[in-house]
Amino acid sequence: MARRYTLVWTLGIMAALTLSAMAQEHANSAGSSSVAAPAPGAPTTREATHRSAMTTAAPDAVEERVMRLEGEKRFRTNCGRCHQPPHKFPPRVMAAAIRHMRVRAMITDEDMRLILKYMTQ
Amino acid sequence: MLCVRVLVLAAVLTTLSVCRAGAQSDSNYDDVKPVPLLTGSTGFISNFTGGQPDLHPIITPLVLVPLGGRWLFETRATFETDMVQVPGRSGFHGGTVQKEVEYAELDYIANPYMTVTVGRFLTPFGIFNERLYPVWIRNLQSDPLILPIGIGPSNASTGAMIRGGFKAHPKFNVNYAVYFSALSTVSHLDSDRFAGGRAGIFIPSARLEVGGSFQHGLQDARSNAFGFHFLWQPPALPLDVRSEYARSIQGSGYWAEAAYRLSQIPLHQNELRRTQVVARMQQYFVGENAADALRPTNTKVFEFGLNYYFMDGLKASTNYGRQFSDAGNANVWTMALTYRFVIPLGQTGSE
Repeated sequence: MARRYTLVWTLGIMAALTLSAMAQEHANSAGSSSVAAPAPGAPTTREATHRSAMTTAAPDAVEERVMRLEGEKRFRTNCGRCHQPPHKFPPRVMAAAIRHMRVRAMITDEDMRLILKYMTQ
Repeated sequence: MLCVRVLVLAAVLTTLSVCRAGAQSDSNYDDVKPVPLLTGSTGFISNFTGGQPDLHPIITPLVLVPLGGRWLFETRATFETDMVQVPGRSGFHGGTVQKEVEYAELDYIANPYMTVTVGRFLTPFGIFNERLYPVWIRNLQSDPLILPIGIGPSNASTGAMIRGGFKAHPKFNVNYAVYFSALSTVSHLDSDRFAGGRAGIFIPSARLEVGGSFQHGLQDARSNAFGFHFLWQPPALPLDVRSEYARSIQGSGYWAEAAYRLSQIPLHQNELRRTQVVARMQQYFVGENAADALRPTNTKVFEFGLNYYFMDGLKASTNYGRQFSDAGNANVWTMALTYRFVIPLGQTGSE
């Protein structure tokens, strides 16, 4: 009886939080990035868009996009070693988080700058 | 003793070089001004060990306070309780809420290659304690059996640490941490006196990291502990492979874990890309000097789990494990719901 009570209670809390989360995600889904990480090795939509745009953009813009692509790659390579990729946060939030991760995960200075650039643009 | 002298000498030399390099560094951390954050995780974990249920709510807030361009104060606390059934009473009843400051440290990013940390910090022995411990990060909710080896009481050290990462070669990065911990007997802030280090090599193209940890005790038996760690994410597969080995006078053992995200299966993409299957095998061998934090008997555990990521930071987990030990075999079931939160403590616009 007690075990059943535990199970029902746990499932109830999980169901409530799940529905809440799904509703929140549904509300935020338009225009936001994908929830789940793309399969490693497969180009993202953002990446494909950047590649096609690079062919016609000015040199500065091309360089900017190359840096962002590299930032995305470094992000997946470094941050993805331990956890799933989060949504993008506002620049000042991301700057604090990346400073924390620079210390905690010992990512290199170059990686930190590229990831910060990618995550804040 | 020689080891300590070498560490102290290395610390002095590196600190001097830090001051010099820091003055010359072209690093500019003021591009975007960071805002203080209240982040962390919360979880509701239900364990059923040998048929005995145990509810385990936990909340772990982490406060990050960036100071200027190079400083960071960070502290993490844990509030948790175990709710169990009491004979003769219905429902589950918890004891007191356990409160603990896991770490409170001040970091100084001296230059692109080095960060100096003082205060109470998570002991960098192996990878689980520092990088994989939070409930929203770990793939299986149960701790590895060898986790207590090398990390000291309360999982933390009190002292100073120098750490960093840099590109040592176009094809690989090196990361390192060297630390000294002083003896502390303050309740909830206790630590042992030891010195040690950890180093790792990360190959970005292969997404492979290998490394090792070493620690020399400076009290009691003055024994050594060492360990190795391995992480691999094959670039072509959504697969995480992690493993650790640790050995000390208290015991030794290993764990190996594989987690596969089902994103490559061309069916029910919306659901399967959020689903991850996990398997872990671990074994622990009792050492010469038993420790309270470690198992009293040789133990082997096989675990299989399923994680579902509803959205960023919200994850449901369930896993089944079979535990084999001299004290008896048991089934272990775990169900959990974990959530990672991020709350800015200031304006978040770009500056």
